[in-house]
Amino acid sequence: MRVVIVEDNALLREGIVALLRERDIDVVAQAEDAPGLLRIVAGHKPDVAIVDVRLPPTFTDDGVRAAIEARERYPGLGVLILSQYVEPVYTQELLASGTGGVGYLLKERVGEVRAFVEAIERVASGGTALDREVVAELMRTRGAEAGDEGLGSLTPREREVLALMAEGRTNAAIARELVVTSGAIEKHVSSIFGKLDLPASDDDHRRVLAVLASLRAGG
Amino acid sequence: MTPKTTWTRSLRTALAQAARDTAYLTVGTLTSALALAVWITGVTLTLSLVVFVVGLPIVIASAVAFRWTAELDRRNAAWLLGRPVRGVYRGAGHGLRARLRATLCDPQSARDLVWLVLHSMLGFTLGCIGVGMVVFVAGLVTLPAWYWSLPNGRVDFGLWHADSTAKAFLGVLLALPTAFVTVGVLRVCARAESWLAVRLLDGDDAGVSPSVDSPTDAPPRRRRFDPEIAFSLHGAVTAFVAVLMAVIWVGVGLGYFWPAWVWLGIAAPLGIHVVIRRAVRAPAVRGRSVRVHAEASALIVGYLTLVWAMSGGGTFWPFWAALGLSVPLGLHALVVYRDRLNPTREQELTERVDVLTRTRQGALDVQAAELRRIERDLHDGAQARLVSLSMLVGRAEEQLADRPEVAALVRRAREEAGAAIGELRDLARGIAPPVLTDRGLNAAVQALGVRAPMAVTVDVFDEGRPPPVVETAAYFVVAEALTNVAKHAGGAPARVVVTRDASRLVVEVSDDGPGGADPAGSGLKGLVSRVEAIDGTLRVTSPAGGPTTIRAELPCGS
Repeated sequence: MRVVIVEDNALLREGIVALLRERDIDVVAQAEDAPGLLRIVAGHKPDVAIVDVRLPPTFTDDGVRAAIEARERYPGLGVLILSQYVEPVYTQELLASGTGGVGYLLKERVGEVRAFVEAIERVASGGTALDREVVAELMRTRGAEAGDEGLGSLTPREREVLALMAEGRTNAAIARELVVTSGAIEKHVSSIFGKLDLPASDDDHRRVLAVLASLRAGG
Repeated sequence: MTPKTTWTRSLRTALAQAARDTAYLTVGTLTSALALAVWITGVTLTLSLVVFVVGLPIVIASAVAFRWTAELDRRNAAWLLGRPVRGVYRGAGHGLRARLRATLCDPQSARDLVWLVLHSMLGFTLGCIGVGMVVFVAGLVTLPAWYWSLPNGRVDFGLWHADSTAKAFLGVLLALPTAFVTVGVLRVCARAESWLAVRLLDGDDAGVSPSVDSPTDAPPRRRRFDPEIAFSLHGAVTAFVAVLMAVIWVGVGLGYFWPAWVWLGIAAPLGIHVVIRRAVRAPAVRGRSVRVHAEASALIVGYLTLVWAMSGGGTFWPFWAALGLSVPLGLHALVVYRDRLNPTREQELTERVDVLTRTRQGALDVQAAELRRIERDLHDGAQARLVSLSMLVGRAEEQLADRPEVAALVRRAREEAGAAIGELRDLARGIAPPVLTDRGLNAAVQALGVRAPMAVTVDVFDEGRPPPVVETAAYFVVAEALTNVAKHAGGAPARVVVTRDASRLVVEVSDDGPGGADPAGSGLKGLVSRVEAIDGTLRVTSPAGGPTTIRAELPCGS
């Protein structure tokens, strides 16, 4: 798996590189600013680009903008955004752009090494990795108004499964996380899709999009 | 009713009307003579004395005399027309200044003067024609009784003359058709004169009456006296006369160029007109009176200089006029600008307020910049170090798989670091959410709308960015208002509208909830201080039963 990192803070950049090397993930190039992202993606054809949101030159949302541009230019490129903030606007823009895998994680998730590496792998294979804070925010705001319809009709266990689905996890990963069998998860999933009136799909990425769309629409 | 009675009645009506017309024209002749005397005296005195302070009461006295004369003729016209003709003047205040201002600025005073000048000529002419015709008819009727008394015993009518009793009686016969003509002429003269009076003297007709009771949706009356048209007319007439004089001069065989003097004569009223027009149109700022005074003085001096040049030069006598005019002008300027020489308490306070406003704005800008710097430092410093720490601890955790009890401790350490990062994140978001800094108010408010648990329609202007302080205040007004709606409005949909014009940003958040919001609530109070700090206003309208509207107006000169 070929990975590039774009992060202006050297401390963090070196830390992530060291962490990934230990896990035998090849960091083929590094950059410090938004134009650098486009340059190294063009030069190294990575599977995944790990990108900080706030980058030079303007230190605002340069990373998101450059990542969206890279996704549109290189179909199949996976982009994992690291941010210190939960910003649903950026998540939605990313999901709406391009075709490859997408991830949006809070920076401190790099400390959960196993989950972080899993997320990178998911994104590399075209999947989705959304931070649980992002999902929790969507579920919280939409859950508040939901009555007997939609989210309100889910059992607590189903809500847990839905949140993990929205993060982009596979059934197997969800089963592992919740320490149950895959069969039990499949039952929950079909129950959730029935209650939310979603089209069933084997494609994990499409499944995430459907779940997110349903959350955005207000359950 | 028989035809005969109709005929006699018409005759009687016509004769009665003729009698009224005659009386009206007779009185009109007298008022025209009075008008001539009054306006010539008034204008001459005013123009010659206005440069001295004594001229000011003369202006008022002249205006009063103009008013009285006009009033006499108003009554005359009212009697003829059988309806009131009222002059509508603006009320004058007390004191010389107020009275002077009221007199000079009153449109009816200007119309009075125009009427005086026109009436002094037209009224006299029309009166003479009308009354002369009546006398002529009376003379014809009584011709046999007096023709012989004249020298030579005959009355000469030019083409025809009466020098015998027979011819005199023929004259009596001629009186009948002449009388018919006279009745018509009287009607025409009286109508012309009264038309002029109504046109210029009747406040109701001129549309200046401050009608209190007329409904406001009635179409506005046509304005009869348009100063711009009057000015154009004046200019055109002046130009015409000037050209006419030059043509006559060429026609009579050149020679001494006398039209220059005529030009000089007609240029004076035009110059006065220009000065008055500029005075009326000048913006009402302090020093306007001084400016007008200076312009009038310059006009007089320039005019006198022209006269001096045209009369062959010699000693430059207009200098003395200039000197004389500069003294009252200097005094006038001194009176108006005296506070500049000796700053008063009020002015000190004004300056102090200016300084405080400026420094407060500076303080707010510095504060906003500082807050954003702190946020950036947190992001690049403490937060980054904590993330790095959490990463190192995570790597250690991975390598402790064989010592689970130590791994559990390390895991707790990582979770603590994560909690610290979360707290720093909330702190930074309270300063200014990144989406506001990055994308501006529109994106940030849209994001608030998306996050809110109820349906929110958002309409935010999308051109340019207001200063950071204003932007942040507007953002928190919306955020707090939406939080309140979510808490109290029972899921009712909300609307956010943010508009911006040249000088302010208006934020309006409304919902269709049950209303009854308490403006003294702690969240709203915090907003009020935030908004007032930048000289904005916050208004909460929340009648019981709804709807609730929070409206903030934030000044943003940009």
